[in-house]
Amino acid sequence: MSLLRNISDGLRWLFRKERVTQELDEELNGFLEMAAEEKMKQGMGRKDALRAVRLERGSLEVTKEIVHSASWESFLGTCWRDLRFALRMLRKSPGLMFAVILSLGIGVGANTAIFSLVDAAILKPLPVEDPDSLRVIEWSNPEFPEGVSNINGDFNQISGGGVQASSVGAHLYRKLAHEQTVFAALVGIADSNPVGIAIDALPAEQVSLQYVSDNFFQGLGVLPVIGRPFRAEEDRVGQEPLVVVSHRFWVSRLGGAGDALDRSVRINNVPARIVGVAPPGFFGLRAGQWTDIYAPLAMRVAFQPGQSDGAPRGEDDSDWWVREMGRLKPGVSETAAKTQIAGLFRSLAAEAMNLEPKKIPELITLSGRRGFGALNARDASALWILVLLVGVLLLIVCANVANLLLSRSVVRQRESAVRLALGATRARVFRQHLVESGVLALLGGGAGLAFGSVLARSIHLVIESGRDPSSMFDLHLDLRVLGCTGGLSILTALLFGLAPAVQAARADLNDALKAQVGSVMGGRLRLPKLLVSLQIALCLTALVAAGLLGRSLENLRWVDIGFDREKLAYASVNPGQAGYSTERLGPYVERVRQELARLPGVLRVSPVEVRLLSGNGNLSRVSVPGRPSSIEKGVVAPTEAANVNSVGDGFFETLRIPLIAGRTIERRDIRPNADAVVVDELFTRRFFPNENPLGRRFGFDPKDSNRYEIVGVVRDTLYNSLRREPLPTVYEPYLPDVRDPIHFAIRTTMDSARLAQAVRAVVASVDPAVPLIEFHTQNGLIDRLLRTERLLALMSVAFGLVALILAAIGIAGVLAYAVARRTNEIGVRMALGATASDVIRMVLRDSLWMVGAGILIGFPFAFAIGKLLRAILFRLEPLDPWTATAALFALLVVTLLASWLPARRAVCVDPIVALRYE
Amino acid sequence: MADKPSDLVQGTLDMLILKTLALEPMHGYGIAVRLEQMSKGVFRLNAGSLFVAFQRLERAGLISSEWKATENSRRAKYYVLTDQGRKRLNSETREWGRQVAAIARILEAS
Repeated sequence: MSLLRNISDGLRWLFRKERVTQELDEELNGFLEMAAEEKMKQGMGRKDALRAVRLERGSLEVTKEIVHSASWESFLGTCWRDLRFALRMLRKSPGLMFAVILSLGIGVGANTAIFSLVDAAILKPLPVEDPDSLRVIEWSNPEFPEGVSNINGDFNQISGGGVQASSVGAHLYRKLAHEQTVFAALVGIADSNPVGIAIDALPAEQVSLQYVSDNFFQGLGVLPVIGRPFRAEEDRVGQEPLVVVSHRFWVSRLGGAGDALDRSVRINNVPARIVGVAPPGFFGLRAGQWTDIYAPLAMRVAFQPGQSDGAPRGEDDSDWWVREMGRLKPGVSETAAKTQIAGLFRSLAAEAMNLEPKKIPELITLSGRRGFGALNARDASALWILVLLVGVLLLIVCANVANLLLSRSVVRQRESAVRLALGATRARVFRQHLVESGVLALLGGGAGLAFGSVLARSIHLVIESGRDPSSMFDLHLDLRVLGCTGGLSILTALLFGLAPAVQAARADLNDALKAQVGSVMGGRLRLPKLLVSLQIALCLTALVAAGLLGRSLENLRWVDIGFDREKLAYASVNPGQAGYSTERLGPYVERVRQELARLPGVLRVSPVEVRLLSGNGNLSRVSVPGRPSSIEKGVVAPTEAANVNSVGDGFFETLRIPLIAGRTIERRDIRPNADAVVVDELFTRRFFPNENPLGRRFGFDPKDSNRYEIVGVVRDTLYNSLRREPLPTVYEPYLPDVRDPIHFAIRTTMDSARLAQAVRAVVASVDPAVPLIEFHTQNGLIDRLLRTERLLALMSVAFGLVALILAAIGIAGVLAYAVARRTNEIGVRMALGATASDVIRMVLRDSLWMVGAGILIGFPFAFAIGKLLRAILFRLEPLDPWTATAALFALLVVTLLASWLPARRAVCVDPIVALRYE
Repeated sequence: MADKPSDLVQGTLDMLILKTLALEPMHGYGIAVRLEQMSKGVFRLNAGSLFVAFQRLERAGLISSEWKATENSRRAKYYVLTDQGRKRLNSETREWGRQVAAIARILEAS
């Protein structure tokens, strides 16, 4: 109550100043008058009485000031005055202000950008109701669970040979969701699936679909904004296919039309009806992946029909593909929940799969606040490295800005001294300077926010380059990012504003007022020089990081991949999605191949199962008759493993992989059960050393080690990684499979943009129901493989350059100031016979001291960052001498250049002018 | 500024003002004069500390004010003790008594 009163009185003062002042005036006047009257009664004259009262009780104005300044609103008032004064002062030096705001903008912006990425990818909770009460359900088992034929989703080996995985069978999920009582809802969701969708008469395009349980939207509290969620009876095989589309899909593909409901679309060539539109901003349960379409679990049978054997996909208890997430009921403990569902699942699965309960995996619960893991470990560590780099950058910026302001506060020392002399308290002067820093930080923060959101989007582009369009992070500017930017701005204001403010408040009145500006700040500019050295040290660190990451990327980029990567592209289609049977598939593939080969500028075309260096691949154990093999539980030993690829005839000519011996895969080999295979040299060295491999046989199954006959040997290539030690490769004849996408390798003379267009037209002309799902050049695939490295190299080089520029500005600024201060001394020296080179040497010595100290401080930092980066460096030691030398050299050259200008100015000092200066 | 009352003085001044107002509503000068009379001239209050205290007490809701005519038919702001103020006065008086007694005991002990 009294607080309210206090605030309302204060506000009254702030906004009705006139009125309140007048009241106080009248009251005080009355007080003094009454006191004076008393005196007059004792015989004093009115004038004397008034003066006596003023002496005794204090004058009207002073009292008013005292009363007023005792209240909180006066604090606000003076802050406001400080603010206006600060703005006026800043307007007076626009150059400085620009430099400060620019560097702050870069520093805060880079940090904002990286934070918004880290936040979106790693920190932010799911955009659903009360994400803290969500639990992800996974399971663990000592071995691959019995009776299970397929496991989708995460599947990890854990210590002791056990496995931890995320999915269960659809039926098992439904029974568990129905019988459990610890979760308010237990929802099921499959990993996202690429499907082809055709709207109206347009050709089909690829989007991402997730099969979800009927309670998915209700359970998560993300009810469709238009239409309705799924109903329980709709998750049944044979029901009419229904879908809910994402808000993004609705806007981009359906034009945000109000009549989207009940529209019919074709998904994988099967008609389906839209019943709802998910809320905006809901991307699914995995950050970084934007699901376009949701369909009930049972629709998998309709959209993705199985092989010719007719077994429905997904409704089989041995096929585990449904992830689970539950919302804990209030008051139910985590342990109780886990105990119940683990026990329930044991008994349900044992019954359904006809197994002993102890063979059923044990369910466990994990936090579901952030949904399913978004980033792989390497991307996550790359982001954390970027956090570190931008942190270093921010420190450099702070040191730089502190220096700029410090030199100005020296110039303004007189002003502070005058203020102090006129009775301002030191606290007041300190605050005034801090307010100025605050204003700068705020402006810099604003610039940083703008720069940061642009930067975040650019980085996002690099991260997602070459991935399918459904993969993107939610980067919109929210309170969390704003909070981060604001916090950083305040932090920087304190970091760079403290030193100048202390300096100003400490001003020694006598010195400042009587002497000229120069002699005020402690003789040798210790603080500014220290700050520059610190800047140099951090800059060295940033440069070493940039050098290491850049060189590592170059090493990766120019690694010998074993074939011609230029003018090579892959076009991908997935006819199986559109309902092609195995019988129709062969002719389709042949037709597309011929049409592609007929394009002008296309030299050769060949289908292939695994695109080289796409990051995917197949691995098999090789068993050679008569060669002993060490059988290990479930895991292929690297010495027995080989990469496997299936290739069409003409593949080696298309990729320009040289043939060493024998022949390549030919047309006659393209048939079921053909036994001709081609291997690479590494394969022959490893499995048939010192003998002629041609005609030798081997197999992938230990029981059938005579399955394949080697008909040719080709040069080694890299298969799916630029980094890993390459494995031998086996090339089988290619037979298309309806379950897999089909890739055509295309050797061309065209540029890729025109080729992509032509290829799209060809694919659409052969069958409009089958979309071109991907098109990549070989270099594009390699870039995609290197996107993390490229991102790190790009960012660190950019940050290194900025750091270098800032260091140059810092050193030039301090030296220029030192020279200006020593004009007098230099004049005397020159008058006494010092030569120009003596003077230059004097200035450069200053500079070299700062740089030298900086390098000494920086070496341990640089060493530490090298160590940190070790894991992601390729064919490079963390203490790479070349990188260190180059970084030092760059630093020395730039700092010398930066010292040159002030040194020139020192030389130009005219002794006569300098001596008259005082 | 330099004559800012210390905590103890500040607390006592508030209490003394409340005590003065416990008898009847008064204007600022009246309070000053009454305090001086009652203290036999030990306290001589300047307008600054007095009015800061009024502002503080009023904002704390311990006193309220209204403009009225004085006996000399001059307009003046009269301060009135609120219920809350009366309670505070009672509790502070008790506390003060306790403290004084305690201090006296300590001083007598030697």
